[in-house]
Amino acid sequence: MSDRLSFHVQRDSFLHRLNPLTKLTLAFALVVVAFVLPFYWTPIFVLFAVIVPLSVSGKIFREFSWAALRLILPAVGFLFVMQALFQPIGEQVVFKFYFLDATTESVAYAFRNAARIFVMISAFTLFLLSTHPSELMSDLTRRGLPSQFSYVVISTLQIIPQMQAKANAIIAAQRSRGLDTESSFLKRAGALGPLVGPLVFGSLVEVEERAIAIEARGFTSKRAKTSLYEIADSKFESVLRWSLVALVVLSIGLNLWHS
Amino acid sequence: MAFVNVRNLTYAYPLTKQPALQDINLQIEEGEFVALIGANGAGKSTLCYALAGFVPHFFKGELQGEVEADGKLSSQSTLSEWTLNVGLTFQNPFNQISGAKYTVFEEIAFGLENIGVPREEIKVRVEEALALTDIRELARRSPYSLSGGQQQRVALTSILVMRPKLLVLDEPTSQMDPVGAKEVFSAVRKLAQEGMTVVMAEHKTEWIARFADRVVALKEGRILMQGAPREVLTSDLLFENGFGVSRYTSAAREARRRGLWTKKSLPVSLDEAAEGFGAIR
Repeated sequence: MSDRLSFHVQRDSFLHRLNPLTKLTLAFALVVVAFVLPFYWTPIFVLFAVIVPLSVSGKIFREFSWAALRLILPAVGFLFVMQALFQPIGEQVVFKFYFLDATTESVAYAFRNAARIFVMISAFTLFLLSTHPSELMSDLTRRGLPSQFSYVVISTLQIIPQMQAKANAIIAAQRSRGLDTESSFLKRAGALGPLVGPLVFGSLVEVEERAIAIEARGFTSKRAKTSLYEIADSKFESVLRWSLVALVVLSIGLNLWHS
Repeated sequence: MAFVNVRNLTYAYPLTKQPALQDINLQIEEGEFVALIGANGAGKSTLCYALAGFVPHFFKGELQGEVEADGKLSSQSTLSEWTLNVGLTFQNPFNQISGAKYTVFEEIAFGLENIGVPREEIKVRVEEALALTDIRELARRSPYSLSGGQQQRVALTSILVMRPKLLVLDEPTSQMDPVGAKEVFSAVRKLAQEGMTVVMAEHKTEWIARFADRVVALKEGRILMQGAPREVLTSDLLFENGFGVSRYTSAAREARRRGLWTKKSLPVSLDEAAEGFGAIR
């Protein structure tokens, strides 16, 4: 069993060394640009001219393409088919499936939307692959994000796999006492109660104990927190972030002017 | 004046009528190592929570009397102020892992980050604490990948690194093997000698007899008796009240009843039992 829930892949690359906030800003900026710039091929350009080269130079191309092909493409492909068939625009039919028509316009519309969604998910995949969650949260907490918020995010990432392990243990325990979890749907649905009950109530007790444990270690202390790790940030990255913000503003402006 | 003063403490958890603690009076000197014994439900954990400030700051309910440590009253401090001086670990190590950190080293540093210790000092203190509990080889592991005994050591280390003046341990060795448990007792003894005040709820009477300065026996929320470990652990009062003391003491008590045990005192360790039984011819 994996003992953590994180997409992060440890590599030594310039992308990994960037400050987490810079990468987060970049991901947001790419998404906004792909969505609002009023040029049809923008999302495709962003994908192949920015995201793919970044994944190569970040030494995570293999993991990135695996995620793109196995996770993003099927979801986006489904979206494309649905929009192409159901979008009631255009007249020139290029494909007919019973009563469903795909027109040149609906296909073009669906393609642009699918490409935008593809950019959105892949930009954040790139971000998650190259950024350690605790580094991100330490950096954001240092910049003023409430520590309670970052605690909830990080502990959820870590506790989900533990909950899965516990659920498996409860399933094994209940099955050894004769609970049927493999036959008909109805029987399996009925078996949910004895499985979910102990998991939920057990977790509630755990929450109380964990609260005591972190409280005993000064979690609510009023003193300014420090961090074990120094997270690199530079003047250059600050300039880069503000440039990305400017790019976003410019794209939105261009969109408004164009429309 | 004693470092810890518990005065007329009576406490009942919310929605319960039966108090978990009744009229507890306890004084503990600085650098003293006090062991709490008693059956499950005797009030050991509640007394630990009261000493660590979680009663009444975390667990509400009805409280009378007061807990004072290092000249301050727990009722007049906030929990975060109180925990700067008083450290607590409890039985289930899994739930003591913060969940916010990915390695044991980071986990132990968590408390120091919270109270704003500078980065370089954090590193030094974590290294020292890892050495103290002998878990340096676990530093790079995920806290969730460890065994129960190892997690208990990490939980203990996470509190020790905060350098509390009063250390409250609620069954800190419950998931450890005998060697690990002995090492923890021995490390705690050393800390007490260096001036840390320790209160430990435990069942392992053989180690208590060897390492603690004083034993406090609790029954149904009240202090039944307290005193030097040997005096308490071999007393008839404890035996009559059904306390599970060491098998060496129980065996010798039975031998005495049959007129075989001739020594004046009952044994609390294997060596003493061997010597006493060896004298029976």
